[in-house]
Amino acid sequence: MGFFDEPYDLPTAADGRVEGVAKVTGGGKYAAEYKVDGLCHAVLVGSTIAAGKIKSFNLDNAKQVAGVLGIITHLEKPLVPGLADEAKIKEARLGLAVFHTDKIFFKGQPIALVIADTLEDATYAASLVTAEYEKEPAKLDFELALKNIQLTPAGKDRGNIEALNSAPHSVEAEYNIKAEVHNPMEMHATIAEWKADDKLKLFDKNQGVNNVQRTFAKLFNIPVDNIEVISEFVGGGFGSGLRVWPHALACIMAAKLVKRPVKLMLTRPQMFHSVGYRPAAWQKIKLGANADGKFVGIHHQAKNGTSVYENFNEGITRVTRLIYHFNNLKAEAATVPLNLSTPTWMRGPGDCTGDFAIESAIDELSYKLKMDPVALRMKNLALEKHPDNGLPWSTNYINECIEKGAQMINWKDRKATHSQTIEGDWSIGYGMAVGAWNAGRGTASAGIQMQKDGTITVQTAMTDIGTGTGISMQNIAHESTGISKSKIKIELGNSNLPPAPSQGGSNGLSSIGGAVVAAVSALKLKIAEYATMQNEAFKNAAAADILLSDTGVSFKTTNNHFISYTSLWEKNNLNILEVEASSGPGAERQKFAFCSSAAHFCKVRVNRKTGKVKIERLVTVSDGGKIISEKAAANQMSGAAVGGIGMALMEEQLTDERLGTLVGNDFAGYHFPVNADAPIIEVAFINKPDPNINPQGSKGLGEVGIIGTAAAIANAIYNATGKRLRDLPITPDKVLLA
Amino acid sequence: MRPFLFSKSSAINQALAKKNNTTQYIAGGTNLVDLMKKNIAEPESLVDITSTLSAKIEPTAKGLQIGAMVRNTALANDATVMAKFPLVSKAILAGASPQIRNMASTGGNLLQRTRCPYFYDVTTPCNKRKPDSGCSAIHGENRMNAIVGYSEQCVAVHPSDLCVALAALDATVKTQDKSGKTQSIAFKGFHRLPGTTPEKDNNLPANALIHSIELTENSFAKNCAYVKVRDRDSYAFALVSVAAALNLKGNQIVEARLASGGVAHKPWRWFEAEQFLKGKTANAANFEAAANIAIKGLKPLSHNGFKVLMLKGAIETALQQCLNP
Repeated sequence: MGFFDEPYDLPTAADGRVEGVAKVTGGGKYAAEYKVDGLCHAVLVGSTIAAGKIKSFNLDNAKQVAGVLGIITHLEKPLVPGLADEAKIKEARLGLAVFHTDKIFFKGQPIALVIADTLEDATYAASLVTAEYEKEPAKLDFELALKNIQLTPAGKDRGNIEALNSAPHSVEAEYNIKAEVHNPMEMHATIAEWKADDKLKLFDKNQGVNNVQRTFAKLFNIPVDNIEVISEFVGGGFGSGLRVWPHALACIMAAKLVKRPVKLMLTRPQMFHSVGYRPAAWQKIKLGANADGKFVGIHHQAKNGTSVYENFNEGITRVTRLIYHFNNLKAEAATVPLNLSTPTWMRGPGDCTGDFAIESAIDELSYKLKMDPVALRMKNLALEKHPDNGLPWSTNYINECIEKGAQMINWKDRKATHSQTIEGDWSIGYGMAVGAWNAGRGTASAGIQMQKDGTITVQTAMTDIGTGTGISMQNIAHESTGISKSKIKIELGNSNLPPAPSQGGSNGLSSIGGAVVAAVSALKLKIAEYATMQNEAFKNAAAADILLSDTGVSFKTTNNHFISYTSLWEKNNLNILEVEASSGPGAERQKFAFCSSAAHFCKVRVNRKTGKVKIERLVTVSDGGKIISEKAAANQMSGAAVGGIGMALMEEQLTDERLGTLVGNDFAGYHFPVNADAPIIEVAFINKPDPNINPQGSKGLGEVGIIGTAAAIANAIYNATGKRLRDLPITPDKVLLA
Repeated sequence: MRPFLFSKSSAINQALAKKNNTTQYIAGGTNLVDLMKKNIAEPESLVDITSTLSAKIEPTAKGLQIGAMVRNTALANDATVMAKFPLVSKAILAGASPQIRNMASTGGNLLQRTRCPYFYDVTTPCNKRKPDSGCSAIHGENRMNAIVGYSEQCVAVHPSDLCVALAALDATVKTQDKSGKTQSIAFKGFHRLPGTTPEKDNNLPANALIHSIELTENSFAKNCAYVKVRDRDSYAFALVSVAAALNLKGNQIVEARLASGGVAHKPWRWFEAEQFLKGKTANAANFEAAANIAIKGLKPLSHNGFKVLMLKGAIETALQQCLNP
């Protein structure tokens, strides 16, 4: 008997994930793991050039492989009504209309799809497909291409940026960040099955099942409800699952062609060009301050890479308007088209990039001012209102994050000038930075099913991409019902369940929490309705008057007019009680501004002989409003911090313009941090509820954990060595040569 | 991946009899399977030699014989190796990941292909993959590539850490052919420089298998170090690595060994620097002087100039660590 065959009967820890046992025992099913009768396999063939046109295919060798069921190309394909002509393709805004063009925009772009009985046959046959191309010159070098791109205003100016010219202290510098790739552990995959000509079932890796459903309903011109999307377990996303990508459409087309269920799973090398990435970025900052440290203003210029077939503006200068008082502000941005696939949102999109430049410049300025960087930030924080739209913050505890972080890392041990602490070949230093994110909320729905024994199942279509949505829903349902957690089940990640927005932009819990609270209220009212039949006291009761327990319902206090669920169910001849409710943002959005924030503190050791940077301590203190599930929240923050280490020290997608190719598109070539690169991340929360954002008072945390991390590390490297490194990642060679 | 036949062999001559141009041996498979997945190696048949070759570490009259099938993890954790040849253990543990070390064999470690991102991308020219197709790396993204011993045809580097230690310790590679004849090849002559035949990584005779590695007892066990500078601290190839070993008499260096990974198509010995250290006092000034000798005349490529400075630092660090192992 193998390890995974052993029966298990493990209780979930009291504060453990609702899906935890299933995940660690292999019981949880990820998209590609479902067993479907008659399943066959599809493998994508990528273009071997980066720009040009397909002239012809040679499919003969591939077709001769036993077990091949069909090959899709732009010349031979099943009809996709939503892409039937050029006008519809434009309207579909799919980015890349896969198999609907002979044009090549990037290397690896799918040009053919081979479907076979087995994965092995499909893989082999795919390797035999070749194409003739009409090759055109390709642009892949961001730093070269950006020079010819003009900046345009990014939002309204504040004051007059000329004021910077007379600022007594200023910093002007350029910052470059290489492209980064999400690479969640689970590779993107789809299983598509046409249940009827107009009925589609998908097991799919994504961050929002309703988005997938809507996209394909439109493309195949069928009702939304005819498409079922199941994404119950998602092995990480980091933003890569927020769009519907070409491979999912390709898989559905394949299922249409062979009239069988088809599985398509991207390979790891394909993951580098198929599901987005954080684009390369160039920035220039000019920051000025008065002698007392008060900021005079900031001029922030930013360019990010995009594809030649779609424009993706990352919003790098958004964060410039969020954290500090800048009476004079000018922001400009541009995108730089390249022969690469389209980039997309990646954890802390835009803000993470912009924040690195701003927080590095502020650190640099602090040395010029001979002022502690903590004090300099404290002096300039916009704590009362959103500096751009003028609305008062509902809550903003970024100052408390800074204070707590400084205390945790013993900031007082930091030396005010660089290169002061030396141990053998190692120089030691401290750095810090802050980050913030506009805290959002979307409209979401949740349902509750209640059984006679008092067990409830709370449901939503929202996915849990590892963020702890499930455990948080359970905690909120427990808090608002009083029913024990052991009697609360969670079902999610299925489009048959009540609709919800995608899990992204730190909006997941903020959105679904209110829906759970609303569903609980609906459940209470429904129970009160039935209870009224037995006891008039429940008549016209408000949800707040109703108290639920594991065994029954009562009015206001647990001993008042208690009716057991058993008796309620029997008297009313009930089977399952079902409610559904929606909840979303309202008038509070016109009254207040909302933000999550974090302060990051770092202690590094830098080896003067080898250039190696070791992170000795990394402290992250964040304001995410009320913390609903501390373990899951801390897990989010430490994961984000490790992502920040990757951004700071090693992640970079290299390109080769001469050959039109990505370089090192595998895990041996593209480095992200492993345990050996990260200390135990020290996480703390301010944990004060935001009274306006949603009923549970929680603000999203996913993004702020990484916004500022890279700057904190770079600033610590400066404090240790006097080397100001403005280009990420800071690999040992850069440290050595600086 | 191309479909292939798979068979097992229990004896060396049986395995050797199966070998032809379209056959490849598979032991741990930690490199070959990757190459097959990327359509770089496309054998028609694989001969599994995991039960063909010895997985034993045995004492010999002069030292130790390591069977070709000894897994990297077993070799790193062997008590005799740790006591008498700790440099071998240190080097192995600096390489790959625990999972890979559990699978990888000693013989396979020697025979793994050199690294270069373009070698791993079949859509780009590469003389090693396809002779005379051109070298993409020499004027491309060559940050990880060679700074010494390369040719116009190839600038790839040998990725092994174990081999750097074996080179430093003057190991011997024992091979066996179909007739049962064994041959001993000095480690420094086992791997090749690319020259005009970059497709050949080593001098393993045709129709022969690596039988074992032999190590001779030495006086380097006490003062040795392996320093590997890499972009991340586990599961990453070396930017540069240094195996250093000193035979000390008091403060005097009787003999020194210095070898590097990440710098050339083969594990690279710094003979002149070793020679310089002979008879010198073990101190920072002499270590730096030795490092300067090593880096003299190196010819980095367009994107790896840093390796010269890094190598200097790594040699100094490794020699220093020899004093406090």
